[in-house]
Amino acid sequence: MTGRTISDKVIDAHTCDENDTSLYRRVNVDAVLGHDATTALLIDDFERHGLSIWDRDRVLLANDHFSPPATAERADISNRFLSFAREQAVPNLMLDRGICHQLLVEHRLCQAGGLIVGADSHTIMAGGIGACATGMGATDILFTLATGTTWMRRPETIAVRFRGTLPTQSGGRDVVLALLGILGESGGQYRSLEFHDDSGTRLCQDDRFAIANMAVEIGAKFGVFVPDEVTVDYYVKRDGELLGTLVRPDADARYERVIDLDLSALDPRVAKPWSPANVVPLRELEPVRITTAFLGSCASGRLSDLRDAAAELTDRKVHPGVRFVVIPASVEVFKQALRAGYVETLTEAGAIVNHSSCGACGGIDKGVLGADDVCVSSSNRNFRGRMGHWDSRTYLASARTVARAAVRGALTPDLYRDQGDE
Amino acid sequence: MTVIGGRVWLFGDDLNTDVIHPPAFYSLDPDKVRRGLFHGYDPDIQPNIRPGDVVVAGRNFGCGSSRETSIRAIKLNGIGAVIAVDFARIFFRNATNNGLPCLTFADADDLARLRTGQRVRVHPEEATLRTEEDETIPLTPPGEFVRRIWAAGGLLELLPRANAPRP
Repeated sequence: MTGRTISDKVIDAHTCDENDTSLYRRVNVDAVLGHDATTALLIDDFERHGLSIWDRDRVLLANDHFSPPATAERADISNRFLSFAREQAVPNLMLDRGICHQLLVEHRLCQAGGLIVGADSHTIMAGGIGACATGMGATDILFTLATGTTWMRRPETIAVRFRGTLPTQSGGRDVVLALLGILGESGGQYRSLEFHDDSGTRLCQDDRFAIANMAVEIGAKFGVFVPDEVTVDYYVKRDGELLGTLVRPDADARYERVIDLDLSALDPRVAKPWSPANVVPLRELEPVRITTAFLGSCASGRLSDLRDAAAELTDRKVHPGVRFVVIPASVEVFKQALRAGYVETLTEAGAIVNHSSCGACGGIDKGVLGADDVCVSSSNRNFRGRMGHWDSRTYLASARTVARAAVRGALTPDLYRDQGDE
Repeated sequence: MTVIGGRVWLFGDDLNTDVIHPPAFYSLDPDKVRRGLFHGYDPDIQPNIRPGDVVVAGRNFGCGSSRETSIRAIKLNGIGAVIAVDFARIFFRNATNNGLPCLTFADADDLARLRTGQRVRVHPEEATLRTEEDETIPLTPPGEFVRRIWAAGGLLELLPRANAPRP
């Protein structure tokens, strides 16, 4: 038997029907994630079929898209979602607590070695702590809510090995943008990306979440980190002990491809409109004036992102031509940022700190773009029209780059050269 | 699954779900969802789609969000099938689960033989596309798993009886 990758092992451990067709296997899942916008799409069918949830303790539901709702129509959708969750007596209904993907990794339901599905593509982010998690649509999730199972095809695995030490100006966002530049929007299609962090200082957990989150922009089914001491620290801090299973690949695991990424040479990256794979080093970018800066989303609205932005904005002001919107990924992150003083620093500098939710990332509210807006954003997608008007333009970058651009009023190739740093 | 006949709407690579169906048209109201199809890309497309028309595209069709409103919008406009070089995985699952046939070209180069407005007939079961010039373009036959969902009329029809209607 050839060596197995993490996803091979996790799928094998969750297979419940060996007699299914060979290409697809029926698997048990450990947890199901849903939010207001996608879960609302399945409620009518769920009720029409007279279904009930297979194990309500394994379901986490969060209203993150419309939190709080900005229109009457969305309030109605939100209410439909909330009443469904309450009728089904889902204990883990997280009302206005933040973005579902962040709430999942803050919750005990998300464990290393687990198999998790969610009604949103960025469910993959839980791979940052060694879970095999993947996004699906409402119909798939309805089926899983009713049965606790789904069908999965065994994905080929691409190993990504990080070496060297990441420069202090760069973060997980720069790493994953560099990877998007290499693999493109479909280079990981149907694949499991398995991240091996052999870097000098080890990527911090927030960086890992950012990388796992955007693995879906490469088309991946899973984006899973090989669990290590950073992973264990996270679980011990969260749960008081390690409850899950650290699933590591075999030494002779079969990979479709191995990518070696030397982090020591990795300077800040930017994805230009209108693709997350349209990546260039910031130093090669043509200068562009911005009207909007957005720091938030499940990709990068965590404490270290707020810390980086606060460090950049200490004793500085947001450029008068820029609206800088900051949305912590969860209320827990917000509270930590309050205690650390980041919220005050950001507010003093002129940024707007909004309630935890998806915000403008999906063109929902709290900073949607107009036709003439040019935005630099720490969110995960700059698809045309996603954040608002079809003619608006979004550049993707790290929280630190977003903050620097907000001060400068522009994204410029010298953003890291003349603020008297490193 | 029956034969689909209509005109081609041709698109390129990496057509993501935000372009297929802009977030502003997310709704539980079918009419609003229907009107949003390709609205940012070209607002003239949606009003001119006729039942049975076929979306033809390049690589990685449907990448991005998992929102099934993109599938609903395609179905509400009567699009009968999507033929592409390949599909993003969530989109493919969503479409199949909802009985919208998604097939890939057996030879990706055949994409170049198709143009917007061309009349075609798609035979999902035999995995072929026939043009009005009577050319036959081979498609990759769907696997047994996909056929099973098609035959059932969608994933919900495969729900085991164990969790069927409560008394």
